[in-house]
Amino acid sequence: MGAAAAGTAGTTALADAIASVEGRFGTHVLAHGDRAERRATERHIQTDSSLDALAPGLSSGAPIAFIGTGSTGKVALAHRAAAGAQRDGGTVLWIDPTATFDPLLAARSGVDLSRLIVVRAKTRDAVLLAAGAALRSDGFRLAVVDTGSPLAPCVARIDDLAPLLPIVRSSPAALLVISDTRPMRLAIPTFTVARVAWRARFGRTAGWTSLVAERALFHFAALGAESHDLGMQSALLEKTG
Amino acid sequence: MKSYLAIAVPERAPRARILATLAAMLPRVGVADDGAFVCDLRGTERLLGTPIRVARNAVNACAASGSTRCSGGLGTTPFVARVAALRTATGTVREIAAGDERAFLDPLPLDVLPLDPKVIEELSLLGVRRIGEFLALPRGSVSDRFGHAVAIAYALATGERVEDVAITTPRRRIRAKRIWDDPVDSRERLIFALRAAADELAEALRHDGLAALRIQLVLEREELLPLRLERSLLPPSAESAAIVRSLRWGLEEITTLGLVTSATLEITAVEPARGRQIGLFAPDGAHAEEAIAVAQFLRTKLGPATVLQPRVVDAEARLPERAAEWEEVVR
Repeated sequence: MGAAAAGTAGTTALADAIASVEGRFGTHVLAHGDRAERRATERHIQTDSSLDALAPGLSSGAPIAFIGTGSTGKVALAHRAAAGAQRDGGTVLWIDPTATFDPLLAARSGVDLSRLIVVRAKTRDAVLLAAGAALRSDGFRLAVVDTGSPLAPCVARIDDLAPLLPIVRSSPAALLVISDTRPMRLAIPTFTVARVAWRARFGRTAGWTSLVAERALFHFAALGAESHDLGMQSALLEKTG
Repeated sequence: MKSYLAIAVPERAPRARILATLAAMLPRVGVADDGAFVCDLRGTERLLGTPIRVARNAVNACAASGSTRCSGGLGTTPFVARVAALRTATGTVREIAAGDERAFLDPLPLDVLPLDPKVIEELSLLGVRRIGEFLALPRGSVSDRFGHAVAIAYALATGERVEDVAITTPRRRIRAKRIWDDPVDSRERLIFALRAAADELAEALRHDGLAALRIQLVLEREELLPLRLERSLLPPSAESAAIVRSLRWGLEEITTLGLVTSATLEITAVEPARGRQIGLFAPDGAHAEEAIAVAQFLRTKLGPATVLQPRVVDAEARLPERAAEWEEVVR
């Protein structure tokens, strides 16, 4: 009886300790060893592009932000990430407060639209609710929050997404934020996307080249026709001298 | 050979517990109209032993499960077994061997048979007071004079009619309870504590091949009335994560949680778990139903035209707005 009571007290104390850790750092932050081992191998989202070589990559339980001014290719890169997340049958939640998601462009980038759910959240709270629900469930591999262009009415800024960080740390899904502006108060791993060259043809703009995280080069054709992975900048420099 | 066991128990006996005990021991257990438990023992001899041995074990098990005043009867029909059980001393078993049924039934009064009291009175005016005297009447005249119901009672007594044992499955309560000395004061801590209870329920569901359709959570709170939360799981699921997710959504709608001292989580409705085919090379596809459940939740919270799925209808459309269509994920 005494041993049983002591065992119960020990279990309660352990439960309290775990609850306090989870309350601070997010649910599922602690996992059984076997599960953690199994998940570690399944965590990384492969895009089959130079994005995979950048650190930190896209992986379950990790937030990342694609930051860059308008028309640098952030959304096209996010489409690649979504296609990668869907590779093993995963579903992607795309939160689109400004209703700018282009299904045709996404489909051309390899996104399976049948496994994509778009939420047109109209308020900041709705954005947090949708992203939180996706990250807490086991149903999604990637949650994308596109904060939209600075020209559109702003619903949620990247700094408003702070409540999602404790949730994503323990989630089986990754969180990808697309933003035009850098966060001021939020510490989130960031890939900056900067345009480094325009490409013109017959006097008209035919596309541009962007440098991602100052290492990977991507070429984007105008009007979202297509995008090409040019490889790592260092490898390209070695190759071209 | 046909062999039926009947267990007669007093009215105030713990019937649910006795039914669960018998159902755990024997393959076909039913409850007769008079409240006695009837077990079909056909085919059990090789595995469980002779009927008399099974009957003794069953009576002992019933006594151990709370009814000390039960008795057993063995017969070639459920009716004979029931009558034997009712006319046997407590804690014992009476066996009516094949061929001895008439000798056992003949001296018994007519109220043993399922007859209307008016019919019994009418028969007694004719000098028919015992089953033997009743069975001595010609079958055709019984049917003509007293009707179909009395003819059925006649057939029961002669053994020409054998009642079916309608199998009654004991209602199983799948629930888990947690009591805390220090009250739980936050939603996250409560959800964490409920996760272990949900794991327990999910294990019980998987064991029985069931999926939870409705769950109920009752929270006892300090200085506040108990809180009862009922949730439906759509699609029904035996997954602990689905139960916890539904509870989380339910709890997030409650503004004042208070100090929770105990929680009882129970599955109140189940259905057989459905099998599903998942892609061999698409392990994440196994979670598609959860994604739909999240979409359903968001649709409820955010309203129509918010949770959508795009579809390309014409990739070569001249106008971009005609290239794709948007549909509600959940209608």
